[in-house]
Amino acid sequence: MKDVLKAVEEEGQVKVITGNAAVAYGVMLCRPDVVTSFPVTPQTEVGEQLASFHADGILDAEMVEVEGENSSMNVVLGASIAGGRVFTATSSWGLVFMYDAMLEAAGFRAPVVMANSNREPPGILAVSSGQQDMICTRDAGWIQIAVENCQEILDSVIMAYRLAEDINVLLPVMVNYDGFYLSYLSEAVKIPARKDVDRFLEPLKKQPERTKLIPGRPLGCGTHGLLEEYTELRYKHCAAMERAKQKLDEIDREFGEFFGRSYGGQIEEYRTEDADIVLVASGSAAGTVRVVVDKKREEGVKVGLIKLRMFRPFPRERLIQALKGRKGIGVIDRSVCFGWNCGPMYMELRAILTEIGSPPMMGFIDGLANMDITIKHIERMIDEVYAASQGKPFQEVTWVVLEEEE
Amino acid sequence: MAKKAKKLPRVFDYLRYEDQLAGGVAFCSGCPLELALRLLTKTLGKDIVIVGTPSCSAPVLYGQNIGSWHRLAYCSSVMTGVPSKATGIVRYYRKIGKDITVVCFTGDGCAADVGFQPLSGAAERNENFIYVCYDNEGYMNTGVQRSSTTPLGARTTTTPVGVARKGKETPAKNLPLIMAMHKIPYVATATLSHPEDYVKKLLKAKEIKNEGMAYIHVFSPCPTGWGMATDMTIEVCRMAVRTNFFPLWEAERGRFRFTHTVAQPRPVTEYTKLIRKYRHLTPEELERLQQEVNENYALLRQLTQLGERA
Repeated sequence: MKDVLKAVEEEGQVKVITGNAAVAYGVMLCRPDVVTSFPVTPQTEVGEQLASFHADGILDAEMVEVEGENSSMNVVLGASIAGGRVFTATSSWGLVFMYDAMLEAAGFRAPVVMANSNREPPGILAVSSGQQDMICTRDAGWIQIAVENCQEILDSVIMAYRLAEDINVLLPVMVNYDGFYLSYLSEAVKIPARKDVDRFLEPLKKQPERTKLIPGRPLGCGTHGLLEEYTELRYKHCAAMERAKQKLDEIDREFGEFFGRSYGGQIEEYRTEDADIVLVASGSAAGTVRVVVDKKREEGVKVGLIKLRMFRPFPRERLIQALKGRKGIGVIDRSVCFGWNCGPMYMELRAILTEIGSPPMMGFIDGLANMDITIKHIERMIDEVYAASQGKPFQEVTWVVLEEEE
Repeated sequence: MAKKAKKLPRVFDYLRYEDQLAGGVAFCSGCPLELALRLLTKTLGKDIVIVGTPSCSAPVLYGQNIGSWHRLAYCSSVMTGVPSKATGIVRYYRKIGKDITVVCFTGDGCAADVGFQPLSGAAERNENFIYVCYDNEGYMNTGVQRSSTTPLGARTTTTPVGVARKGKETPAKNLPLIMAMHKIPYVATATLSHPEDYVKKLLKAKEIKNEGMAYIHVFSPCPTGWGMATDMTIEVCRMAVRTNFFPLWEAERGRFRFTHTVAQPRPVTEYTKLIRKYRHLTPEELERLQQEVNENYALLRQLTQLGERA
């Protein structure tokens, strides 16, 4: 307890903590009013850690240990529309069990912040990493962010509150981090001082107050509206999504000025300035890609990485800017898009293909159910994209582990 | 010296607040929900938050076409989320140090079926809100489908009467009893033929809600779905009480007590004959229903006696 207090009260403290603990630290620093928890592997530790912060008097929040994830989302939604800052975490089956309430949270324009530890969801019981859970909920109207390491988890949780509660956004935000790879990975993480986080979140207090549910004040909460009204609400929701893109870039820059760390906002580019070919990846896999990019650069291949941080809304403009004129693009997907026989990120990038000059674009499905996206795999992807960029015939979609070269 | 006659409790004595509903509301003709809601707001006042679902009460609370028919703070919810939303609202206000009254107002389908898990969860956590369930014994708003509180033998659109099947095959789930087993501070049954009993229970619930959850189960006949005359609603409520089909009781912290006793209960047939959904029942089937009523009542009586002994 003393070490936790020291970490949040003094500047520049570093702790070796898991990804789950990084979530909890980020949340605790943001002083939420209501927190709910329900166990599901691999995020269970988040709730435990927050409960222990609460028990030690470091976190002053209402803790609700619900009887299921559906209630988890409904409790934070109720508290959010009443005016509170809220948090919950989940994963996989838990995420899909709260789906109806998630749709409602988005429709209510409730600034709920949730951490989702990516895990393979329903269909087959796979207690293993994969981004399919997040993909299952991509059309729920939430902002979705995927992160690469434990430090980025903590920092992104803090930034998520700035984004969700911004008066021009007011949308729920889901911070995704790879289950197992990050949830249980211990890394050195810089813990921002609580007073600095307070200062960083200060602008939220200075903006006009959002609509709140107050006893005695006539107000109907819900996605009311028929016909044109409903269409108008949808239009406004979509417009808020669009505004959220630039907002994230701004918040990320500001975070950099405050804490000396920034992540590029919607996307992060790595060695792309003069790159002929680019790999697009998200989550922890981006870290491995960096290593391979460095290696291939030494070999003379002009390759770069684009880390897709924001998946909803889709960073279309930034991606067009970053990918225009490249000679070959490879996309790594840790999930599948049923009906298209490819990965969802690949499918969505195809939508901007003509705007970036129609280079060869290859999709790689890899890393499902805890299969490692290895250096060898990535080297092979780069080689194949390079060959395609040289005009060789190429296969659009590759299921990497099923088509391994001997 | 002449003993001063004890003043009988009258429902109007409890109605201290202004009605929060519009003059005319969009309920079906003869629906007891209007009375249930008006009495509720007149008893509890306007400084409340109501949480509800898509249901029979939704057109009035949630609003249909032109908007809602009241001046209250209202939160709509998916069927699975009512007690949880109430939890969130109450917890937030507790965090900022404000005492508020949150009332969940849902039908039996939400409370006993699809929304039962969060109701039970909130009861176990003993959250500080009032849950009012209006029991019209089925999904009336969607067109009279059976729910788990539909009584034995009753005809609904999903338990139709034909050659192979005759109405609902299983008895109703006794939700108020189940709620009492959660040992929350207050559980009660009520109906509109006994309005003073209903509003007294509402007041008790409001008093007790600082200690935890209060649950009130309101028997609400549905003229449209049950097949009964629209001017018979209160009479049907009364007959449900007189036959012990729907006994009026309360349980304070697990101690059961009848709030109204019937000296000579009428046979259940006097109740069922008022309602078309029972019309197909043979004397044997009606006997089974009577048996069910007797058993439920006997169990309750045992529970009230336990309360006396304790």
